[in-house]
Parts: sequence; structure tokens; C-alpha cells
Amino acid sequence: MCLSTKTKQQPEFRQVTVMVLISIFQFLSMLAVISKQEETSMNTVYVFLGYIVLEWIYMMFNVIITGKDYFELEAIAFFLSGIGLMVCATIGESYAIKQLICICLGLLTYLVLLLLIKDMRVVNALKYPAAIGSLLLLVVNLALAKVTNGARNWLELGPVSIQPSELVKVVFIFVGAVSLERLLSKKYLYLFIGYSLSCVGLLFLMRDFGTALIFFFTFIIIAYMRSGDVRTLFLICAGALMGAILIIYFKPYVANRFAAYRHVWENMDTNGYQQTRVLMYSASGGLFGLGVGEGKLRNVFAASTDLIFGMICEEMGLATGIAVLIAFACIGIFAIKAAKGSASSFYAIAAVASASLLIFQLSLNVFGVTDLLPLTGVTLPFISRGGSSIICSWGLLAYIRAAGAPFKLPAPDIAVSRKTRSRNGGVAV
Amino acid sequence: MRKTIKRASVVYVFILMILAGVGILISQFVTKGSSWATNKANAHIYSSGTVVNAGRILDRNGVVLAESKNDKRVFASGEVLRKSVLHLVGDTSGFISTGAHNLYRSQLSGYNLIDGIYRLKTSGKGSDVVLNIDSEANRIAYNAFGNYKGTIIVCNYKTAEVLCSISKPAYDVNNVPRDLQTNPNYEGVFLDKAVSGQYTPGSIMKLITAACAIENMPDVYDRTFTCDGEYKTTDGTVICNGVHGEITFGQALNQSCNCAFAQLTVELGANKLRATAEAMGFNKKLKAKEIPLTMSRFNPSTISNAELGWAGIGQSTTLINPSHFLSIIMAIANGGKGYAPDRILTMGTYGRLVPRKIDVMVNMNPETASALKSMMRSNVVDKYGDYKYPGLELCAKTGTAEIDGKTSTSVFAGFSQRSDLPLAVICFVEEAGWGSGVASSVSNTVLQYFANNYDF
Ligand SMILES: [Zn+2]
Repeated sequence: MCLSTKTKQQPEFRQVTVMVLISIFQFLSMLAVISKQEETSMNTVYVFLGYIVLEWIYMMFNVIITGKDYFELEAIAFFLSGIGLMVCATIGESYAIKQLICICLGLLTYLVLLLLIKDMRVVNALKYPAAIGSLLLLVVNLALAKVTNGARNWLELGPVSIQPSELVKVVFIFVGAVSLERLLSKKYLYLFIGYSLSCVGLLFLMRDFGTALIFFFTFIIIAYMRSGDVRTLFLICAGALMGAILIIYFKPYVANRFAAYRHVWENMDTNGYQQTRVLMYSASGGLFGLGVGEGKLRNVFAASTDLIFGMICEEMGLATGIAVLIAFACIGIFAIKAAKGSASSFYAIAAVASASLLIFQLSLNVFGVTDLLPLTGVTLPFISRGGSSIICSWGLLAYIRAAGAPFKLPAPDIAVSRKTRSRNGGVAV
Repeated sequence: MRKTIKRASVVYVFILMILAGVGILISQFVTKGSSWATNKANAHIYSSGTVVNAGRILDRNGVVLAESKNDKRVFASGEVLRKSVLHLVGDTSGFISTGAHNLYRSQLSGYNLIDGIYRLKTSGKGSDVVLNIDSEANRIAYNAFGNYKGTIIVCNYKTAEVLCSISKPAYDVNNVPRDLQTNPNYEGVFLDKAVSGQYTPGSIMKLITAACAIENMPDVYDRTFTCDGEYKTTDGTVICNGVHGEITFGQALNQSCNCAFAQLTVELGANKLRATAEAMGFNKKLKAKEIPLTMSRFNPSTISNAELGWAGIGQSTTLINPSHFLSIIMAIANGGKGYAPDRILTMGTYGRLVPRKIDVMVNMNPETASALKSMMRSNVVDKYGDYKYPGLELCAKTGTAEIDGKTSTSVFAGFSQRSDLPLAVICFVEEAGWGSGVASSVSNTVLQYFANNYDF
């Protein structure tokens, strides 16, 4: 991997082609959206054009300055985010503006995270503040939610409402990967187990079953990546404990809510309401959809968040829905490639855990609303409306990119150059 | 470190799970998409459970029986016409489950895997369903019933096309009676008697008994039967409709002599009779193309000879489905092949390109069919009188089904033997009194319409 000679080259034909295709797709999306509006909303036009310009600026910056190895990974993320943006634009221009701001925040998170984790010293320095900070965030969330008696996994901060558990997902993988990075440090192993149990425990108290399940799954993945001899035993025990709590604590909830699983049509107007609507409207859309804004699923509660896959199928067709699924499969392939070429096991663990989390959450969402899995009410990464989910998705993407192609600025920096050498030498710092 | 990196391959497992999910999802869309998309909760098609947007339903001559205009379902003009095709077209809420609105909702919605219901969405029209029915014949038949209830079906026995089918009582979809659910006059109004009805057959059941005798008694044509008004068995008596004296097998069918047929039944025995009936589709779940038929039931008594005798002349516990029995008549008319009556001419996106497949419902020995045909012809020539059915050259069997506590049902089943009028008919008129006059005259009225207006 000889980065130094290639990075200064002009963008290659392939990358320009991909970018042009994505831009055309989004431009057509914009035309489709505004053609349905009675009076053309200029704000909608600005949102789409702004997004396309943002993509081009980022890609130029990326390709010219920071290396283009994982260009396709970012292109996929832009493609998926663009679909979410389009759905928001069909609901209303204010939704589109909010969503665009969220995507910008997501991209910012992505860049900041790439900068932070390029240096293992920074990573090590950040592990305690990150762990403690994330637990505090969950505690504050729980405390405030109890006071306001609102939905327990939301935190209202003036006009902005955030979902702390989404942000903690990013930190969780960070803490997990850094704790288990060193083979010999038993202390970190115990700390990580304690941290995981605390996170899952707090999610139990918030009754956020879907997210608790995702954390549990991610814990298993991180544990699997690092398991060996004695620590395997501890990790298995911790996993079993979490699983047991999960089952016991959520049993009544699970029994009630999962009663409709595989029987949604018999419970069309109760527990199967959302799934049956997703299925009937997805089927109505056929392979190519009824047209943006033409769907009826949008009138169903949570259509643009949990049920957004159904909206995509109804309005843009099953073909687009499947393209979304394939896009996530591609993210998985990039993660494997990145992990296998990564400089240290921190990056490998983080990349694999991130991709697994994204795919797991995607499966819970897509196969949940289509009744292939029980419905858990989690969002579709990158696409569902809502800032926390988007920021989390982009944050997770940073781990994959960091493993494959570390973010590097053109200015000469001792830490970077040493890092690059050690990478090429295949020895961890 | 190396071990950890190797384990990155675990992500392949999750990728495979996505691909498996995609596969299952696609296969479910292929197999169930049509029923999902046409669910009553789909607001593209239904509004509070009633059809608003769908393709047109037409009769064979292009008369529009139902169509969608501005998110509303509009029906044919003419109250009698609407009533006469009610059970074929069906209501927009799907109460009439065998009506086209419910049974062919997927075709009406224009649904297909590739486009979904895009056509419906963009044009407000799905794809059309064209019935084999002549709506004018239906209107004439409905009027011919007068105030009586019942059903008549006319079917082309060479092509299986159902040309006329009504079920009474019916109501006007444009003016639904408020007491529809409570008024006893509308009892069973959502049931299409042509396909979902069950009737005591009365004397037309003697055709089945005759078929059994022809196939199991080689000497039946040489025999004579003596009728003195009643036939005594070991445990009861079967009463005849007259005193017929000494008669042959053929005359027994002409006169519909209960004594002769009860005697034949007892001699043949319950098992042989049941075998003949079941070979013709009794006690079986049958489908007339897409329409499930109510089962025809025949369970002759193996204990009581009197009950067995009554079963052999179409009383006792025997029940027949009109469409199924029509197919038996069609088998007699068509050299042993009784087709499944088919109401649909074309439907769906590719309906005009692919002709409908003809299904066989009843198989009969061709020799039995031919023997029954000449006996039925003799019924008309020697007993009922050809003059009653001018020009039709009918082969027929009439019947009167006695029902406890009610006036008898008048029954008529037959077909024209003219090769240019290959029509079979079955008609039940409820509470029409003793004799087969009403069913016979309704059938004649409808068949005359076809004889005058069609060149088959
Ligand atoms: Zn007699």
C-alpha cells in the first residue's frame, strides 16, 4: 500500500462516475419531490442542491487530500443518507432542512472521530472520559425521562431532542475495542464487562428493548473478536448474564409485543398493525414504486422512522429497498477488507463491531417490519428520520474507514509518519 | 492480533444473513404480494373497507356492470339489471364472497409483481374482468322469477361459459335496504345460490339412480315395474305421485315414478348408488374455476330401506349444489365430459392473450351419458311436450323437491340437443308449489332468448 505517491493524483474516472451517478439520482429525486408540490418550495431545492454540493466538496477534499481508498464506503453512506433526505423532503421542507443539518452533523462526527482515533495515544487517553461520559449521559437520560414522564429513551434539550442511547453506541464500540486491544490487560477486560453490564442495565431501565438487544449483540461480537483462553470464560459468563437479564426483564413485554410475530394478519388492527401496513403498501409499490409522495404508508405512525423501509418500497419500489439492503452488505465487505489490513486490533475490532452493529440493526428494522423477525422498533441506519440515528451511523462508519485507510492530513506530522511506517511494517505501535 | 483479524470474517455470516433475508423477502412478495396488496385495509383500493378504485367489470357484450369514477364505485344503470347481476359482480365490501369484487380483487386492482398497483394509482383503473354472462339474459331471467326466490344457471356445455346466472333474493347496490340484515325476506342474501346453495334435488336425482342402474343392471331395459301408488319396503312406504300401473324403465323416468325408482334403489343398494354419485362428484369439495362450490351431499341410508328408497328419488338427506349438478347435466349433453362452469371470459393484464383453460368437473361413461340423453329427450317428447319449448329440442328432467314445513321447490334441469344451441340449464324456484311448471317456464324463457339472439 503506497499511499504517498497516489494521494496527490487527480480524482480517477471511476470516482467521478460514481459521484455523477449519485448526483443524478439525487437531482431526479429533487425533481420528483418538487413536481408533487403545489407551489415549488425553493427551500427544498436548496436542500437538495446543498446536499449535492456538500457531497462534491467532501469527495474532492477526500480524494485529493486524505486518500481515496475507501471512497466507495462514503459514497454508499451518501447514497443511503440521500434516500432518507428525499423521504423527509416529501413530508415537508422543514423536515428536509432538519435532516440535512443532521447529515452535516453526522459527517462532522465522522471527520472528528477519524482525526481523533488516527493516533492510538489519543485513543488511550480518551477511553476513561468516553466510558464515564457515556454512562453519565444514560443516567441523566433516565433521570430526566422519569421526571418528565416522557418516552424514556429521549432527552429533550429545549427545541432539540436527542436519543442518548444512539450516541452511546459509538462510544460503546470505542470502549470495547480499546479495552480488549491489549492481550495481557486483564484489568481492562473486567472494566469493559462492568461497563457493558452498566450500559445494558441502564437500557433495561429505559425499557429500550431494541437498543439493549443491539448492545448485547455488539458485546458478543467484540467478545468473539478478542476471546481466548481465560478471558473467553469471563466473556461467556458476562454474555450469559446479560442474556438472562434480557430474557427475564423483558419477558412480559416480549410475550405481549411478540405475540403477533408470524401472525400479523390475524392481528391486523392491534399488534400487527404496522407490519401489515408495511407489507400491503410495499406490495402495492411493485418493483419500481408508485412514485415519491404517492404512498399511503406515510399516514401510518412512525412511517418515516421505524417503518421507512416500507415507505421506500411503496414509493420507490422493492428494487430500491433491495438496493438499500445490498448497500449494507457492501459496507460489511468493506469492513472485512479494512479489518484485515488494519494496523492494530483496536481498528479491526472497532471496524468489525461497527459493521456488525449496522447490519444487525438493519436486520432488526427491515426484517422486523416485514414480519420475518419480531418487531423491535429500531431505526434504519443512515436513512430513518432523526439526528441521533444519523450521527450514530456516520460515527460507526468512521471506525471502518479508520481501519482501512487512516485519516491523514497533508501537513507533515511526526505522529502520522511514525504511524505510517509502523503500518507498512505490520507492527502495532 | 492475527487471530483477531482473521475473525473479521464473521461479518460474512451477517452478509449472508442479509442476502438470505432478501431471498425470503422476494419469494414472499412473489407468492403473497397479490393478497397483501389487495387487503381491505389498503387505502389505494379501499375506503373504510369498500372498494373505491378498481378495474371495470363487464358482461360478454361490453355492458359495464361496475367501474370506478372519481374514487367511487359506479354500477350499471337499471335497478333490475343491478339486482340480477348482484351476486356475480358482488358488493364493494366483500360480503358476497363469491362476487367478482371479492374473488377477483387482485385482477381488478391490476396488481402484478412488477408494477404493483401502479396502473390503478395513475389511471384510477385496474385491469378489467369480463364475465361470460349476457346481462340482458340475466335481467330477463330475474324478471321471469317474478316474486319467487331461487337460482338459474345457463351454461354452454361445449365451452363451459356461464351465460346467465342469477340468485334470488337480491338487493340493489345503489339503494341498499336498511333492513338487509334483519328482514327474513333477505335471509342468505349474501349467498350466491348458484355456487353456494344447497338444494334438495327431488326427481332430478332419478338421473343419478338411472345412471347407476344402467351401469349395474344389464337387463334394466327389459324389465317392467308395477306402480299402484306406493312402494312398500320392510320398514316403510314410498309414496308415488300417481298410479302408473305396469311401466318400463324409460317410462318410469318419463312419469318420474317413485315406486319404480325406489324399487331400483333398494335392489341396487346404498353402496353402488353412493359409488355412482361419488364418481360424479358428490361428497367432494369442488371448484368451478376460482369459485369454491358448496359440497353436494349424498349419504343413502344403509339401515332403512324406506330411507334408501327416498334417497334414490332425491329426497331424504340428499343435497345438491346447482353448479355441480349443472355440470352433471353438461356431461350427459356432452358425451360424458361435464365441464366446470366458468363465469370469466377474460381478466387480468394478459387475459386477452391467454385463453382460459377449460376444467372437467364431472366424468361419465359416454354410453351412460348417451342412454340418459335419449331418456331425457323422451321425457320432453313423450311426457312434458315439445310444444312447451318451441324450437329448443330439449332433453330434460323436472322435479319437485319436498321440504318439511315449506311449499315444494320447483326444479328443472336440461339441455338443448341442437348443435347450434349447446346450452344446459338448471333452475330452482323456491316455494313454487307442486309441479315443475315455474322452473320449466323460467328456463324456457331464458333459453328462448339465447335461441333468438345467438348463433353458437
Ligand atoms: Zn308410480
